[in-house]
Amino acid sequence: MVMTFQPALAFALVSPLLFWAGAGLVSVPIVIHILNRRRFKVVPWAAMEFLLRAMKKNRRRLRFEQLLLLATRCLVLLLAGLALSRPLGCQDSSLADLAGRRTGLHVFVIGNGYSMAYQADRAGAKTHLDQAKIIAKALIQRLSSGGESVAIVTASSPPVQIVSSPIYDLKAAEDAVNRIEQSYGATDEAGALALARDIARREPVNSNKTLYLIDDSTRVAWQTQGEVIGQLGRELAGLYKSGITHFNLGKPGQWNQAVVDLAPADSLVTSRFPANMVADVRGYGPCPTEPRMVLKLDGVALAPGVMNVRATAAASPQTITVNGLTPGIHVFTASLFSDNRLPIDDVRYRAVNVVGQIKVLIVEGERGVGGQGSSGAFLDAALNPSGYAASNDSKSAGYVATERISDLEWGDKVLSDYRCVCLCGVGQIQETQAAQLEQFVREGGTVMVFMGDPVTAENYNATLYKHHLLPGPLTKRIVVSGDQTPRRFDFDPHRPLNRLLADFQNQEQTGMDSAEVYSYWQMDLPADSPAERVLNFLPAAGTPNQPEDPAITVHSLGAGQVVFYATSADPNAEWTTFMPHPAYPALMHMLLLGTTRGNDSWMNVLVNHSLRVPPSIRWTAAPVLKDGNQTEYPMELETVTDATSVYFGQSQYASKPLAKPGVYSLSTGADNYKIAVNVPAAQEADVRTLDDTEVRKSLGDVEIDMQGDSVPAPALEAEQGKDLGWGVMVVVLALLAMECFMAMRFGHHWRK
Amino acid sequence: MSDPATDFRRYLEPRTLARIGSLDLRARLIVEGLMAGMHRSPYHGISVEFAQHRQYVPGDDIRHVDWKVFAKTDKVYLKQYQEETNLHLICVVDASESMGYGSVGDGQASWSKYDHATAIAAALSYLVIRQQDSVGLAIFDNELRRYFKPSNSPGQWKTITHELLQVPRLKKTGTGRVLDQLAEKLTHRSLVVVLSDFFDDMDSVQQGLRHLRYRKHEVIAFQVLDPMEVEFPFQDVTLFKGLEEMGQLLTEPQSLRQGYLAELSAFTTQLKKMCRGVHIDFTQLNSGQPLDVALSGFLAVRAASIR
Repeated sequence: MVMTFQPALAFALVSPLLFWAGAGLVSVPIVIHILNRRRFKVVPWAAMEFLLRAMKKNRRRLRFEQLLLLATRCLVLLLAGLALSRPLGCQDSSLADLAGRRTGLHVFVIGNGYSMAYQADRAGAKTHLDQAKIIAKALIQRLSSGGESVAIVTASSPPVQIVSSPIYDLKAAEDAVNRIEQSYGATDEAGALALARDIARREPVNSNKTLYLIDDSTRVAWQTQGEVIGQLGRELAGLYKSGITHFNLGKPGQWNQAVVDLAPADSLVTSRFPANMVADVRGYGPCPTEPRMVLKLDGVALAPGVMNVRATAAASPQTITVNGLTPGIHVFTASLFSDNRLPIDDVRYRAVNVVGQIKVLIVEGERGVGGQGSSGAFLDAALNPSGYAASNDSKSAGYVATERISDLEWGDKVLSDYRCVCLCGVGQIQETQAAQLEQFVREGGTVMVFMGDPVTAENYNATLYKHHLLPGPLTKRIVVSGDQTPRRFDFDPHRPLNRLLADFQNQEQTGMDSAEVYSYWQMDLPADSPAERVLNFLPAAGTPNQPEDPAITVHSLGAGQVVFYATSADPNAEWTTFMPHPAYPALMHMLLLGTTRGNDSWMNVLVNHSLRVPPSIRWTAAPVLKDGNQTEYPMELETVTDATSVYFGQSQYASKPLAKPGVYSLSTGADNYKIAVNVPAAQEADVRTLDDTEVRKSLGDVEIDMQGDSVPAPALEAEQGKDLGWGVMVVVLALLAMECFMAMRFGHHWRK
Repeated sequence: MSDPATDFRRYLEPRTLARIGSLDLRARLIVEGLMAGMHRSPYHGISVEFAQHRQYVPGDDIRHVDWKVFAKTDKVYLKQYQEETNLHLICVVDASESMGYGSVGDGQASWSKYDHATAIAAALSYLVIRQQDSVGLAIFDNELRRYFKPSNSPGQWKTITHELLQVPRLKKTGTGRVLDQLAEKLTHRSLVVVLSDFFDDMDSVQQGLRHLRYRKHEVIAFQVLDPMEVEFPFQDVTLFKGLEEMGQLLTEPQSLRQGYLAELSAFTTQLKKMCRGVHIDFTQLNSGQPLDVALSGFLAVRAASIR
């Protein structure tokens, strides 16, 4: 038979210094006792005999009493030091269980991203968040008042510690839990865990710390930023020595359908052409039925009305063509009809700036004789064919308003009045002009750069390239001499084409493949350049393995885009024979439409983000922002601090983070804007959950107590460390009382 | 200006005198009563004052039959008479070192047990001399230092108080032996008032007192104690240096107080019991309490007991 011994009293000290101080003070009564024996009064005494007899009879008793008093006083000091040093009873000590009073920090990380609004139909708890609150409050109610403190973190982005520091008032902690609101934002689990880590670091090292994670364990919340969460998990395991408990509220088999995105197919929506609105409808988990959807424009259902849609986890865009748009800002609404348990993301809004006419400024570097002789004339005609024979091509139906100027007149123009600026063979570009163009593009404009005879690499590299208006430096002008084979575009309508050439797919006789190019500017475009190669030149004859030079590139700069066209737009320059081909105007329109933006991105905001109005928006009165219930949200001026922003250092109006989705209205005095605020469905709609093993793995495979979704049994907290300090202090007080009684009894406090 | 320490008049507190002055008649009665008890002649002679009746028993002298009472009651009673004699008071004052202890007052004005005893002796002497009785004095420590045989001359009181002032208190106590000596010395039946703290061997004290009683002397014992000795109020650590070479003791008095008081009480009880056994009046006096109160109280009690 093997006997094992449990320690009767095992404990650790929070402040060992105080204990040693108490131990040192034990010497004080002894020193006082010794000093007292050295300091005495001398009294001549007549009745000595009686004194001696009394001493003889009571010597032993007196000695015992003195030693007992001395021992009691020493013990009082020692135990007082022990009590103040806060001994914490360890797990398996029965005496510690009996005598100890619990102490420690309890941190609750409660998920309240919009996925926690999932209606799980628990008794007494409609949603996951309701159940999370019930569990949190049940745990708080079992804590020891006065000894245990509580901190609460909500995990919706941005994560928040809802009381500024851990509180000992458990009732207040419960009230704080009650006040947790369902957020419409996404879950930032990594951010919430980082907050929990910071809270633990601020507490004394020796104190007990326990972490409770209460959430629905969606894979998108736990596996996005997986490495970060894993690292945090290991740090948390080291800090929360009393344990980490995870409550998994996610139901196996929970499913959801949502509209995760709604956007126009083209970057620019005009009133001249039908707009394709694309709704990305997703289904996560075992969806029993397919949803139906309706698209509305400014609240009015669009044809074909309610329609069946497919909803899968992969992208499944639904395209609806909308006709008859009028210029102005409109709100499209995609609404799902579904039995899913998370209706928050069944509706999505999109504010679209429908443009009536696109103003294009064409800057010519060469002026020719007559209206058609200049370097931009043909482009002008291609974009704005009014005055030419009417065409059935809807893309050239006069939605573009062009203005053609010489490069000498450039300085008089306000670029922000235009949506697109075309440089057609402009020779010397000034530094200020290049800077101006960069600003224009960054603010959302489009610049199209066409080559021509006046163009020099030195100038363009020193200005346009420097201001990121070229994707690469110009290297060499390729000129095909008379006896050489002219260059051609690398175009095959039967091969996959760039999106901007989509209309030419499978189109024969466009001229794109047959156009001859006699001259173009070669560009050194890095292999990893983000610029999009819309069209390339085929290599020179006899050099099939040569890399293809870019003919047309598109790259983004800020909110706008830049189109580089390696050859000339001027047919008179004899650089290419492409212009007369019917594909040319179509291509120009496609480039224009494909790169020009509606500049309505700022009108579409995610929940828990601020509405920031670009400084380019003109105000004639103080801005007023209201939601659908006419509740006003204050707008304040702030300085743009983002160094990468084109508006860096400028003032702009911004609101506080908008907590609820919906359609808001913004009044600037002269204009009214529609603002669409959406839930971050792309981050939060996927409600498929992780099981306990996967959660543990996400947290770095640390030791975690995995619980289900119900209120835990009371035994859960039995392993908390107990503070024996109070028990020891009671003993100290009892000893003090005993010392007083003994001193009185032994005659040490006799008074007349 | 006389030295207060050696001025006998310090023992004549006006208050004390006033208190006992009114008692002189009582005192006389008391003393006389005392005398009657002590000095009652076995033979009742003439020129004595009628005292009381006693029933006749066969063998009594019929000369003293009160025939008037017989005529009235048909019962035979004898008359008894008090003999007027001179009272001899001997004040026996302990002048040992222990009697020199005193905590009342301080410095030149301190009041020791010896002072208290001397005051009592002076008061009683004054009383007796005023009633034209005789008073004598014996002063002792470990032996009889001074003896003045009783006298009722007017200068006797002054002599007594003067002598009491002169004796230094340096020696140990030998109460029993001195009382023995005194018992042999006294030729006349006397009232012996012993003023001491009796811090001595109990057996020897008992022997001395018995010897006096054997000699038919009336004895009154006054145990004079200091308030400190009675209460033992010491608190701080104290080195007690015993008088009369009793050694010393360093102790915490609070812890010893109960034991000390128990020992003192046991001693006093034993002393009292011993005195009662030999028909000696015993009174404990506290030198911190007013003398007049204590003394008049004692005289009043004694008078009541005599009646």
